[in-house]
Amino acid sequence: MSTIAADARLSPRALSRAYSSVRRRRYLNNAGTLVLSVVLVVWSLAPIYNMLLISLEPEGDVFTDHIWPKAPSVESFWGVLTQGHWYLEHFWRQFANSFYIGAMVTFFALLFGSLTSFAIGRMRIRYGWLVSHAALLTYVIPASFLAIPFYRIMQNYGLADNPWSVIAALVAFATPYAIFVFQEYGRSIPIEVDESARIDGASPLQIYLRIYLPLMAPALVAVGTYALLLAWNEYLYQFLLLSSKASMTVPVALAQFISSDQSPWNYMMATAIIYALPPVAIYYAFRRRMAAGLTMGGVKG
Amino acid sequence: MMDGASVVDVGRPAIRRGTLSRSLRGGLKGGEYTWAVAFVVPYIAVFVAFVAYPVVYGLWMGSKMSLYRELFADPIYQSTVVNTVLYLALGVNVKMFLALLLSGFFMRPGWWMKVLLLIFVLPWAVPQISTFISIHWMLNGEWGFLNNALYTLFHVEGPSWLNDRWMALGAVIVSHIWKWTPFWTLILLAGRMAIPLEIRDSARVDGATGLRGFVHITFPLLANLYLICTLLSTIFLLGDFNAVTFISGGGPANSTHVLATLGIRDAFEIAQPRLGVAAVMTALPLVIPLVIVLMRRLRTAEVQL
Amino acid sequence: MMAYLTRRSVLHGSVALGATRLLASPHVAKAATSTATVWFAQGFVQDEDVALRKAVADYEKASGNKIELSIIPFAPHRQKVVSAITSGVVPDMTMSNPNEILQLFAWQDKWLDVSDVVETQQAQFSETALLAAQAYNSVTKKRSFYGVPLRAAVVPCHIWGSLVEKAGFRTEDIPKTWDAYFDFFKKVQDNLRKQGERKVYGLGFQVTANGVDPANLFNAFLIAYGGQDIVTKDGKLHLDDPKVRQAAIKTAGYLGGAYRDGYVPPSAINWNDADDNNAFHAKLMVMDVDGTLSTEVAVKDKHPEWYYKDIVTHGIGYPNDNAGKPVPSIVGVTQGLIPKGAKNVTVAKEFLKYFIQPKVIGEFIELGLGRWLPVMPSLAKSAFWQNPKDPHLRGYVQQGLLGPTRPDYYVFNPAMAEVYSEHVWSMAMIDVAKEGVKPEAAIEKAFKRIEEIFAKYKIA
Repeated sequence: MSTIAADARLSPRALSRAYSSVRRRRYLNNAGTLVLSVVLVVWSLAPIYNMLLISLEPEGDVFTDHIWPKAPSVESFWGVLTQGHWYLEHFWRQFANSFYIGAMVTFFALLFGSLTSFAIGRMRIRYGWLVSHAALLTYVIPASFLAIPFYRIMQNYGLADNPWSVIAALVAFATPYAIFVFQEYGRSIPIEVDESARIDGASPLQIYLRIYLPLMAPALVAVGTYALLLAWNEYLYQFLLLSSKASMTVPVALAQFISSDQSPWNYMMATAIIYALPPVAIYYAFRRRMAAGLTMGGVKG
Repeated sequence: MMDGASVVDVGRPAIRRGTLSRSLRGGLKGGEYTWAVAFVVPYIAVFVAFVAYPVVYGLWMGSKMSLYRELFADPIYQSTVVNTVLYLALGVNVKMFLALLLSGFFMRPGWWMKVLLLIFVLPWAVPQISTFISIHWMLNGEWGFLNNALYTLFHVEGPSWLNDRWMALGAVIVSHIWKWTPFWTLILLAGRMAIPLEIRDSARVDGATGLRGFVHITFPLLANLYLICTLLSTIFLLGDFNAVTFISGGGPANSTHVLATLGIRDAFEIAQPRLGVAAVMTALPLVIPLVIVLMRRLRTAEVQL
Repeated sequence: MMAYLTRRSVLHGSVALGATRLLASPHVAKAATSTATVWFAQGFVQDEDVALRKAVADYEKASGNKIELSIIPFAPHRQKVVSAITSGVVPDMTMSNPNEILQLFAWQDKWLDVSDVVETQQAQFSETALLAAQAYNSVTKKRSFYGVPLRAAVVPCHIWGSLVEKAGFRTEDIPKTWDAYFDFFKKVQDNLRKQGERKVYGLGFQVTANGVDPANLFNAFLIAYGGQDIVTKDGKLHLDDPKVRQAAIKTAGYLGGAYRDGYVPPSAINWNDADDNNAFHAKLMVMDVDGTLSTEVAVKDKHPEWYYKDIVTHGIGYPNDNAGKPVPSIVGVTQGLIPKGAKNVTVAKEFLKYFIQPKVIGEFIELGLGRWLPVMPSLAKSAFWQNPKDPHLRGYVQQGLLGPTRPDYYVFNPAMAEVYSEHVWSMAMIDVAKEGVKPEAAIEKAFKRIEEIFAKYKIA
């Protein structure tokens, strides 16, 4: 490396020894990376591979003795895409509902979370700490047990069977978390950045839009992905608050399979696999935003 | 404006910064104050409409004293508490620690890292009903995938993974870690990326690489985020019943129940929701200190850059 | 106290009234049209839902009223009902999923008395169905009808004929008395093992503390061994009855012993409700004792040869007890329910009265392809159930409706539902199976807990 090459005082033998130790370190480094990579891949994919195996089973059997697909059949995947099984009759409609709810929850959680975090953490509004502390109350009782009170208030608000009831509940759960992460993340952005913009005559809204949000990009992506997946895979509230087939989402459709002791498991696994793809794709599309933090350590122009 | 270097001045004394912030705190002038309020109102509205009432109602549901007597008389209550403590302690800490390490690993450049991260994120992205049921079947002693693989590849007869309390609890904890580590890795990765490039570069120039760099530069900057994530994760995990329900079913013989699954059973299977809420409320003595620490952490001064 | 309204007692009183009602046109409220919300759990085959919608549509046409029908997946439906009742925002009608919520919530005075609805078809219902529709209300301190029987399920034995034959036996050889019957499958396993079949097990006993299967299994054995009076109709517990104690000990001993001796898959100790079906489906078990004909119905389309030739349920039936006498089967009855606080009770009741007319409910059940049983003996005589070409339906309806049946114990006292939910019987079986505990000690422990639970539900 540069430090070594720059040091002309080393003898040729010492230099070559230094180079080979660097090479050895790099080799170990790469070998270590390879091993870790393999471990991570096997670890992450094992249960999902099992799901794939089951989805390809023509009988939907979950207990077999083979670890490769013996007589793979894509009937289940085809069934999902064509809404061919009656549990999946409304699959595309429910898929669209999931998208809608997911998008709205993500949008509002990010919006409310970043606005609040900006006001409390950057603008330092008086009694701002009250808001962030009160937000914590949301988590004192786990969501699974707040379901019953939620059910009641949604009826009271006239939001029964309305996707907005689910959106409201999930935004209420995701936003405090967003606030905390944004506040924490925002600590590494010096307040001088805001100050200089203020001096330049920027309004709070402009500071929020032009400076705060771009600098928060990695956190926005991380929290946004969390909110999206929370909404995407949540099912308890979607069961309770949505009744009609037209308003249901795919997680509720998945729950049908576990209703019976005899279900077409291959269809269930195929549904789950197909359903998992959009968030992964979305995350991949936004991955560059996370890297944006690498280049934007400060204010530009 | 010059490039970022002038704004991020590693050597700037802290005192001057403190003065600036103090003058901002609560000292917002007119128009700005209106903006600030406008920014906060949306969340407050959501909170009042959708959190205040359910939480108060929930607290009321768990307020009858006789519920707790009934709860403690349940023969599995004690083992359930033990399981919950283990689940929280191991599940959260091992997961966060792995996330910390892996977030460093994933900072490396290269297309392979991108693909790996994507694969790594899959456990979190796939709906947990399906993945946890898949794990439940995988771990079946006679016919599950894991033992099939062990036998086919290594000629080893695997044990009955879910037949023993500690193995089943271990399986639940490992599954939780499997599912959630990717998420926390992403958060900490974002945290690492927040550390301005200049700091990382200058640290490297000074020779603070590898472990030294981590201990002296990275971790202090991440510490607060790490702590907040740990505390939040603990609180979240308290209410999580999916892993136990689908993987071990609380078994064998009711030995791997956690407070959340006990609560769900009481709420929905014997139609006593108040008893169910009470089950989770017994963890309040644990949750409240966590919440207080969390609150304190949110108030601490800015990290010194 | 709680006098039971049996078919016989009311028959005399209302036979004339009943006859008129039966012959009259559908029960319609000719008043102003109104809407009622109905929640029904989703069926196991599509045709069930189709049949339900048809019945609803027919009612709407006949009455002019509207029914807002929500067909909700099974598991969420349960949570939704509990949430609704707890929060006070209830539908006008729903059904019992699981069946014990009838008795559990009736205890808390959360259902409307529906005696008037049941009366319209009183003569048609089986005795078991009428018993199961009643519950004790701890507020009024009386028993009454809080449910309207709709359909039922029973727990048959399922056997792979091909595996029996592979072991060198014929299904005709299967003994007809209790212990000998189950011992037979141990011999089947032994023979299959000799042929090198490592992975197949003879008995699929659900020796697990998970789901509803273990309680059903335990009950079947308990009754067969003479312990059927563990809870009597008055809701009183009889653990001091030596017959009950003996039967319980024998049950725990046999079931736990089978596991301990290696005739039950080791993973059974932590099965959920679907695992035994999965194992049976993959031919990894020779027989199991599992509720309904879901096992058979699931393979009917894809593998008619399995349905018609291979899987055996009922040439055999439940074996007789060890003395040769028939063993009554426990029948779970799904009931229509009207929560207290329902907004449109009139239409809810009207719809229920319409729905339980033999023709309507009979069609509804038959379209479910045999997953559910009717609760009216007259319906069992139909061509569908008596189809000579179908190997399962005749036996199923014989076991669950025409033969000796009894309701489950939580009907008499909801405390039993809590006993099941805590899996008290499972713990006893597992103690014997895995912990090497003697059946007497295991049952002693179980009885103690059952007493504690029953102490919370005092019936006057």
